Amino acid sequence: MLTGTADLSSLVARLAPPTIPAWDHEPVELRGVDCLQLVAELRRPAREVTLPRGLHPTEPPALIIQAWKVDESVWGPFSICFTRLSCRSGVRARGFTTACVSDNDVAGDQLATRWGFPNREGGVRLRTHYDACELEVTVDGRPILTIAGIDPQALSTGSLQYTASLNLAETPNGLRLVQVEAAHDAERVQRVGGRITSFDAASWGDNRLEPYHVVATTLARDRTVRLAPIRFACLPEISAFEGTEVIETNRGNHE
Amino acid sequence: MRFGIFFELSVPRPFSPMAEYTVYANALEQCRLADELGFDFVWAVEHHFLEEYSHCSAPEVFLTAVAAQTKRIRVGHGAVVCVPEMNHPIRIAERAAALDLISGGRLEFGTARSSTWTELGGFGADPDHTKKSWDEFVRVIPKMWTQDCVEWQGHSFTMPERDVIPKPLQQPHPPMWVTVTSPGTELDAAERGLGSLGVAAVSYDEQERRTTDYHRVIKNCEPVGAVVNDRVHTMNFMYCHEDYRVASRVGLPMVATFNTLNAHLYWTREAHATDAYPSLGNLGQSLRLAANADDPSAAKGLPEGLGIGDPDHLVAVIRRWEAIGVDGINFVLNAGEVVSQEDVLGSLRLFASEVIPKFRSRESAASRVDAPTTLPEGIDPC
Repeated sequence: MLTGTADLSSLVARLAPPTIPAWDHEPVELRGVDCLQLVAELRRPAREVTLPRGLHPTEPPALIIQAWKVDESVWGPFSICFTRLSCRSGVRARGFTTACVSDNDVAGDQLATRWGFPNREGGVRLRTHYDACELEVTVDGRPILTIAGIDPQALSTGSLQYTASLNLAETPNGLRLVQVEAAHDAERVQRVGGRITSFDAASWGDNRLEPYHVVATTLARDRTVRLAPIRFACLPEISAFEGTEVIETNRGNHE
Repeated sequence: MRFGIFFELSVPRPFSPMAEYTVYANALEQCRLADELGFDFVWAVEHHFLEEYSHCSAPEVFLTAVAAQTKRIRVGHGAVVCVPEMNHPIRIAERAAALDLISGGRLEFGTARSSTWTELGGFGADPDHTKKSWDEFVRVIPKMWTQDCVEWQGHSFTMPERDVIPKPLQQPHPPMWVTVTSPGTELDAAERGLGSLGVAAVSYDEQERRTTDYHRVIKNCEPVGAVVNDRVHTMNFMYCHEDYRVASRVGLPMVATFNTLNAHLYWTREAHATDAYPSLGNLGQSLRLAANADDPSAAKGLPEGLGIGDPDHLVAVIRRWEAIGVDGINFVLNAGEVVSQEDVLGSLRLFASEVIPKFRSRESAASRVDAPTTLPEGIDPC
């Protein structure tokens, strides 16, 4: 079966994985979150080469773009946007994070050092209207992603299921894919006609990423998003069946 | 209890014309042997673009070869995808009728709507509409088989008055089924008088609940066709060997390969939020409810009641399925060719000699397989 083929050192050089200095931490609850998710198919050459060997690509390969506009958190309000590649870890559906931009230093630092998001500071503007929505992400004032969504249609809140993320990070156990589980408590879910109007692939982790065919775009209003403490970390070059470590968060740094 | 074999036509990498040829040739040899040994059904799926997992995108062609090379075994189209972007309903009715004629009235006709984004997206089909088109197709296809003239104005297609030909050999028409993966689909089947064709492994308790509900509902069904098919079949895996340890050593990797390939499919819900697909594929509820649901090191759990073991074990397992109302079990024999062809054929022979006779007489294994249909006079049922 297919596995990723990315050279790990190249991946590290490209993604600049953050450092998680210690495992033990508490969950965090974000309140009043607008969550935009766009899934787009990628060109086939990106299928294996963008993933580490421990992960399996999907067919077709797909890029998942998520943006959160958070009204309240212990770090204050903030917005974040991150991109992930659809994949399998063992038999589980996951998204491998390739890049992340947030507009709040404190939140970005916490998300990097506690959950391994490869955060960069930038501008993330998610605007929602009754008829449309827009997302613009900038770094150093330069737009690296814009998405336009129109014609929202209501779905049931149970219709949307997010996959957990795998973030490459230096951890107390070494370089690992940490599994980030975000529980969304949605009060409203809409599907919108989404379109990527600009996308700078290199800024999102790999210049071979070409999200050429949008599958679906959703806009959800979450009462809360709860980020759980990390429970699992996987060796990036070994199948998750053999290379998964259970993180015992209440006892400090253990496998 | 009836016994079938079930083909996804899984092809291991690296792909080559010879690799696909070998899988097809092996499968046809297995069908010929199964026919000789008294198995009752051969089912072939319809899947598109599912690399490794299933290279069975033209099952009607494969099944035509099966029909031509066998005499008694029933030929299961399991299942035709009832989505107009993939199959026009008129073409489905025509092909199925032709297959029923060529097989001498041995067609079992399964229906489905596809579960993966890989397939639906590849054909440009809208996941929101597949349940509607499936429901429309299962109502109109039996009309095409039984009426001289059909006119239709529906959600997914319209047609002026035409006589769809040929007509099937079985009277009133071939038995119809629905593939069942998600909980609740068995009730869709029951309400329409269609057979329940399980294509995902479930626990004994879950199957018993589904079977009980199915039989309760089908008693008051409004059949979409001219015949009610009230049979419940499940899917399983088979590797039978005198030595249980050998059976496990050879058979369980096949199950693991199948399950892993299945879990790697790109399910519709994951890519395309919709109310029409309730879960992320066959992994579904049982996995999410498990204690280790999020642990990536946990393999997809082995289902209960596997057909892997020595003959005595398999007899015990099948008796358990029989006790909860299952009428037939269709066995996957291989996945990714991890079991050698010699071992697959040996397993079939041992199963036929030691297991099947515990469930029926040798005479019945030579007569026409039970079906809720009849054949015109003059047709040899075997």
